[in-house]
Amino acid sequence: MSHILAIAGRELRSVFATPVAYVLIAVYMLFAGFVFFASLGLFLVQLEQIQALGMTNLLEQWNLQDIVIQQSFSTFTFLLAVVVPLLAMRAFAEERATGSIELLLTSPVTSTEIVLGKYLAIAAVLLLVTALTGLYPVLLFAYGDPELWQTLAGLLTLLLYSLALAALCCFISALTRSQIVAGLVGIALALLLLLLPFAAESSQSDTMKAVLRWLGSSTHFESGLSGEVRSEDLAYAGIVIFSSLSMARAAVDSLRWR
Amino acid sequence: MIKADRLTKRYGGLTAIRDVAFEVAKGEVVGFLGPNGAGKTTTMRILTGYMPPSEGRAIVGGFDLSTDPLAAKRVTGYLPETPPLYPEMRVCDYVRYVATLHDVPRAKRNAMVERAIGSCGLDAVADRVIRTLSKGFRQRVGLAQAIVHEPAVLILDEPTSGLDPIQIAEIRELIRRLAAEEGRTVILSTHILAEVEAICQRVLLIAYGQLRVDARLDALREQGSLEQVFVREVQAAASKDADAAAATAAAAAVVEAEL
Repeated sequence: MSHILAIAGRELRSVFATPVAYVLIAVYMLFAGFVFFASLGLFLVQLEQIQALGMTNLLEQWNLQDIVIQQSFSTFTFLLAVVVPLLAMRAFAEERATGSIELLLTSPVTSTEIVLGKYLAIAAVLLLVTALTGLYPVLLFAYGDPELWQTLAGLLTLLLYSLALAALCCFISALTRSQIVAGLVGIALALLLLLLPFAAESSQSDTMKAVLRWLGSSTHFESGLSGEVRSEDLAYAGIVIFSSLSMARAAVDSLRWR
Repeated sequence: MIKADRLTKRYGGLTAIRDVAFEVAKGEVVGFLGPNGAGKTTTMRILTGYMPPSEGRAIVGGFDLSTDPLAAKRVTGYLPETPPLYPEMRVCDYVRYVATLHDVPRAKRNAMVERAIGSCGLDAVADRVIRTLSKGFRQRVGLAQAIVHEPAVLILDEPTSGLDPIQIAEIRELIRRLAAEEGRTVILSTHILAEVEAICQRVLLIAYGQLRVDARLDALREQGSLEQVFVREVQAAASKDADAAAATAAAAAVVEAEL
C-alpha cells in the first residue's frame, strides 16, 4: 500500500508541477460554463415564451433540473471524452519515453502497485474536476430550487464515467511511448463509446443491437444523469475499470519482457 | 553476491549476449569493460531485473531473479546509463521517493536520504528542481538514488560519464569507500580504462556478446597494459565473430544452392 501511495503522490505532484493539468481543467471549466449558461439562457427564454402563450400545463415538466442540469451534464460527457484522455495519456507513455520507467521496473514494486498508483492519482484529479463541475449547479441552488439528490446523482454519474474512461486510457497509455498517440486513441475510443448506442438503433440484428447498446457508455449514464443511479450502470463502470486496469497491468508486465 | 549463470539474451533474431557466466563475491569491485554495443547494458539490465534473460539464470544477493524478483531488487541499487530522473521533482523529494519504493522504513527514511545526498555531494542542491541541474549533478542524483537504500549490491552503468575530473575523483572515492568500508559489492561499466585500474580489483571484458576476460587486475597486468588486453581481446572477438558470420553466410549459400 505504501508503494501505491508513494507512486500516486509523486504522480499528483508532477501533474500539478506542470501547467498541463491547470490548462486542461481551465479549458474544461470554460466550455462547461459556456454549455451550462447557454442552456440556462435558453431555458429562461423558453420559459417566457411558454408563459406568454399561457401553456401553463407545460410548466410542470419544464423545470431547471431536467432542462438545464441534466442536459448540460449530458453534454459534459462529450467534454470529458476529450479531457480525460488528455489527462491520462501521460500515465505510462511519458515514463517510457524518458526512460524513468526503468526505475519503477527495477524497484521492488509489483506491476499491480504501479498501475494502481498511477490510476489513483488520475482518480484524485477527476474527483477535483467533478467537484468543480458541481459549482455550476450550486449557482442554481442560490436562485432556484433544483433537486439536490438528483443533482448529486448526476455528479456521481459524471465521476463514474470519468473513472471508467480514465482506466481505459491508462491501458492505452501503457501500450505506447507516444503521449500524442495515447491521447488521440483515447479520445477516439471515448467518442466511439458515446456514439455506439446511436449505431445500435440502425442495426438489423437484435443481438447486435443489444451488444452495441450495452457497450456504449451513453447507455449507462442517461438514467444516472436524470437522478436514478442503477446498479447495472455501476456494474458497467466497475467492469470497465477492472478489466482496463487488469489489461494495463498485463501491458506493464509485458514491458519487462522486451 | 552476484551469479550470472550462462545468460543469453536475444532480441528477435539478434543475439545481444551469449552464455555470459561469472560470479562476484561480497565486497568486490568489478569493472565491466567492452566496446559500445557489446552487451554490457543488456547484462546489467538482466541482473537488475529490468528484463529477463532468454536463457540462463541471474542470482543477486542469494535471490533468483526469475522466482524472487522483489527480494533481489530490494538488495540492489542500480544506476542506469541514463539516470531515471523526474525533471520536475526536487532532489530531496526524488531521493525520498526512491527510498520509499525500496521499502526503507519511515523512521530511517530522512536520515538515509540525507546521508545519500551528502555522500554524493548534493547538499547544496538538495532543494533544487532536477530540471535546473547540470549534467554532472544529475548524474550524482542518479547515484544518490542507487545508494539511498544502502543496497548490498550496486550496479552502475557508466557512473562517471559527464562528470568533470574533480567530480570523477569524488565518485571513485565514494565507490571505493562503499566497497571497502561497508562491504558492498559493485559492478560498474565504463569506457575509461584508468578508472578500472583506479578502483576495481577485477575485470570482466565482454565483446560481441561474449565474455572474453574474467581476471583479477594484477593477473592481467602481467599480460601487458589494460589497453593492450582490451584491444587484443576485442579484435580476437571481432575476427571470431566475422568467422561466425562468414560461416553462417556460407551455410546460407549452401542451402540456397541445394534449393
